[in-house]
Amino acid sequence: MVSPKEETLIYGTKVSTVCPGTFTGQDINQEPTNMDLAMKLHYLRGIYYFKSQAMDGLTTMDIKEPMFSWFNRFYATSGRLRRTESGRPYIKCNDCGARFIEAHCAKTLEEWLEIKDEEAHEKLLVPHHVIGPELAFSPLVSAVVGVSVGLSWAHILGDAFSAVEFMNEWGHAMAAQQLAKPLKSAQINTKPKTSPSPTTPTNDPLSTKRVGPVGDHWVYPNSCKMETFSFNLTATQITHLQSKLCGPVGTKQIPLFESICALIWKIVAQTRNGPEPKVVTICKSDSSPRKNGILGNDQVIKTVEAHFSVMEAHPKELAELVINQALDERPKIEDVVKRDNGLSDLIVYGANLTFVDLEGADLYGLEFNGQKPTYVGYKVDGVGEEGLVLVLPGPKNEGKNGSGGKVVTIIVPENQVVKLKSELKREFSIA
Amino acid sequence: MPSPTVPEFSKSVKLKYVKLGYQYLVNHILTFLLVPVTLSIALQLIHSSPNDLLALWNSLHFDLVQVACSLFLIVYIATFYFLSRPRTIYLVDYACFKPPCSLRVPFATCLEHGRIILSSQPKAIQFQMRILERSGLGEETALPPAIHYLPPEPNMAAAREEAEMVIFSAMDSLLKKTGLKPKDIDILIVNCSLFSPTPSLSAMVVNKYKLRSNIKSFNLAGMGCSAGLISIDLARDLLQGHPNSNAVIVSTEILTPNCYMGNERSMLLPNCLFRMGGAAILLSNRWSDRKQAKYRLVHVVRTHKGAEDKAYRCVQQEEDPEGHVGISLSIDLMAIAADALKSNITTIGPLVLPASEQLLFLFSLLQRKIFKKKSKAYVPDFKQAFEHFCIHAGGRAVIDELQKNLQLSAEHVEASRMTLHRFGNTSSSSLWYEMSYIEAKGRMKRGDRIWQIAFGSGFKCNSAVWKCNKTIKAPIDDGPWVDCIERYPVYIPDVVKL
Repeated sequence: MVSPKEETLIYGTKVSTVCPGTFTGQDINQEPTNMDLAMKLHYLRGIYYFKSQAMDGLTTMDIKEPMFSWFNRFYATSGRLRRTESGRPYIKCNDCGARFIEAHCAKTLEEWLEIKDEEAHEKLLVPHHVIGPELAFSPLVSAVVGVSVGLSWAHILGDAFSAVEFMNEWGHAMAAQQLAKPLKSAQINTKPKTSPSPTTPTNDPLSTKRVGPVGDHWVYPNSCKMETFSFNLTATQITHLQSKLCGPVGTKQIPLFESICALIWKIVAQTRNGPEPKVVTICKSDSSPRKNGILGNDQVIKTVEAHFSVMEAHPKELAELVINQALDERPKIEDVVKRDNGLSDLIVYGANLTFVDLEGADLYGLEFNGQKPTYVGYKVDGVGEEGLVLVLPGPKNEGKNGSGGKVVTIIVPENQVVKLKSELKREFSIA
Repeated sequence: MPSPTVPEFSKSVKLKYVKLGYQYLVNHILTFLLVPVTLSIALQLIHSSPNDLLALWNSLHFDLVQVACSLFLIVYIATFYFLSRPRTIYLVDYACFKPPCSLRVPFATCLEHGRIILSSQPKAIQFQMRILERSGLGEETALPPAIHYLPPEPNMAAAREEAEMVIFSAMDSLLKKTGLKPKDIDILIVNCSLFSPTPSLSAMVVNKYKLRSNIKSFNLAGMGCSAGLISIDLARDLLQGHPNSNAVIVSTEILTPNCYMGNERSMLLPNCLFRMGGAAILLSNRWSDRKQAKYRLVHVVRTHKGAEDKAYRCVQQEEDPEGHVGISLSIDLMAIAADALKSNITTIGPLVLPASEQLLFLFSLLQRKIFKKKSKAYVPDFKQAFEHFCIHAGGRAVIDELQKNLQLSAEHVEASRMTLHRFGNTSSSSLWYEMSYIEAKGRMKRGDRIWQIAFGSGFKCNSAVWKCNKTIKAPIDDGPWVDCIERYPVYIPDVVKL
């Protein structure tokens, strides 16, 4: 429910659909991989804030027109889900399109960012669509354009790296102003190689949680309300953090992401009412270079199990555990989905406390009028009760030597937020 | 395919040659009569000596005055004849509006929007889906920006924007193609049936292009899909009265104000078939344009069945029980169209058909009326009168019906079917997209005769006959088909699986 006060912040909303500029073809389908189907209950929500100069002189049509060219390359995002006779979902690339929402904002960017209620205000700027209840008529991608650009992305299409590349291509399409040729279907990865399946799989993988049948309404039936909050880490704070963890500069440094994982893991263990999380899931980018224009769930998913008390362990031990003892879960996940022929309903984010490393994503690559966004945030909907931590690159204007600040976004049940926030403040010396 | 038995085959071959022989005989009867007469005169001349001829000449008693008066009479009659002939109307060139790809409406989007807008009317949704599946439209037709919104926003400002987009784009194309200066336009006719604002669309064109203050401008509204040919007819009549002039005709249909928001079945059909389109045509009666012009106007035949109530009411714009305005199509539409076509053919037949076909038709008429023989009316073979047919792409049913009635082959109706597939029913401008298709395919040769047939509310059936003035070589580098002509013709299934 949107309060009347919030309603007046955003007004003049107009909804339309944007489809590929050229006809994709008759009966072109894209088969999601087993990994894609494992992630189907998750949705990425991204928000890109721009200074007003970025939108100067741009009419709605100036923003919308290049999208048709952009969608020529990524025509699967304009498709709709169908089920085969066996029930396995696939994407029919019928050019149905993505939802495009235009809105006006009553406030300037500066005024907007002063509003403290982050979750509520982001709700207004980001579409919150989900797939279902009718599979065949649910858009996979939505965007809201106003003072900012909000994106809603169904995880079945690809991981966050794919989503970010997808958005950056929009900026290129706007700059190029030329109709992009659709990628030939031979280039699109319809049947990618799957990792070899383990020999005797009987149990569900540690990194997933099976949920009750959701049918065609792809929403994770969470037992509690999840809340999202973020905090920035400046370069100074990062150096301080790492020296605290590993010792002074000169001794072997633990990478930043693993340091953050370790610290937050310990804090969550300390602040949680109930058993501490012994298993965490780590998601990172696949180190192999990504083929241009191919979207997919290619990130590496690993689990780490601690056989000692997390609350009392030194963060350095936890960090080393994460680096050395993480097990690749992907073959097991793919196998579990394959066994059920894509009919299983699983979640990955939030089945355990999950950490996603998005530092390598070119988050600030989307340009309007040559201007990069002032701030980019991503969060996930459909996260399980164990929680999710995203480590994102910070705004480019911070950090002089390439190692800019970071943004940490945490999604946990709302009853854990207060305690967690105060502990994090103390630990990371943040305001 | 089983081959016919030999006697049947030889009979059909014999019949074919008999028919051909009959056609040659009747169509060239004058030649056949004149040849023996000329031969006999020539023989006589050869046999008689020069003295005989001189004697014959002297016996006629011609003197100077008589010769001068006869000559003067001949010259006078010749001049009178040449001056009273109607001026030749040339079609210098024309341009069609090409919708940008951002206005494209794939089937899936059309259906999904329909489901959202009509969410409380599942039967209407089903009906729309069935129409789309069988419509013969393709996935690249376009709707104006206002109709892409959920819900659609059909306000007047958006309608004006659509009109500006379509009309100005077509006009710019036409001015570029022909090198015509706006100040040189003498007559302007704009036809748009469903959107008629004040100031008129023709005033909008005058304003945009800064046309002369003594321009003769006309705005035809409410005349349906056949208004394009009515405009041609009007231009022709005006050009008869104004020597050395040209006329620009803009034919379009503005869809924004006519998005039907209700759920009456008879009114949902136009939503599914009508699409954005427009054309601008330059006609001229100037002698200097005769080399450059693409076509020459031969005939325009207009038939109005409005005197009959059923025909008058078969396409009616009205409010449905919930107050939504839409265009209601009666169930008798096809029958009325066939009837209107018959009337039109009866008038145009004698003007265009060769003598052989006219005689056959006459015999068949005599057989039925005087000898009271119960045989079917003979449908003249119009393929002998025309090389190309442009049938208004009103819908698949219209094209099927005309193909059947006129016994046309698939190639004859290909331009119409492919226009319906690529651009949808663009109302009065569809005939020009079809002409453009034929040109893009390189089929238009000098001397070819083209028959344009359009139907419209009222109920009207109008025809125009053009003769191609110069061969148009493919590939052409502009026009609405330039980027997709290689893909055509496409196979259009009876029912598209959605």
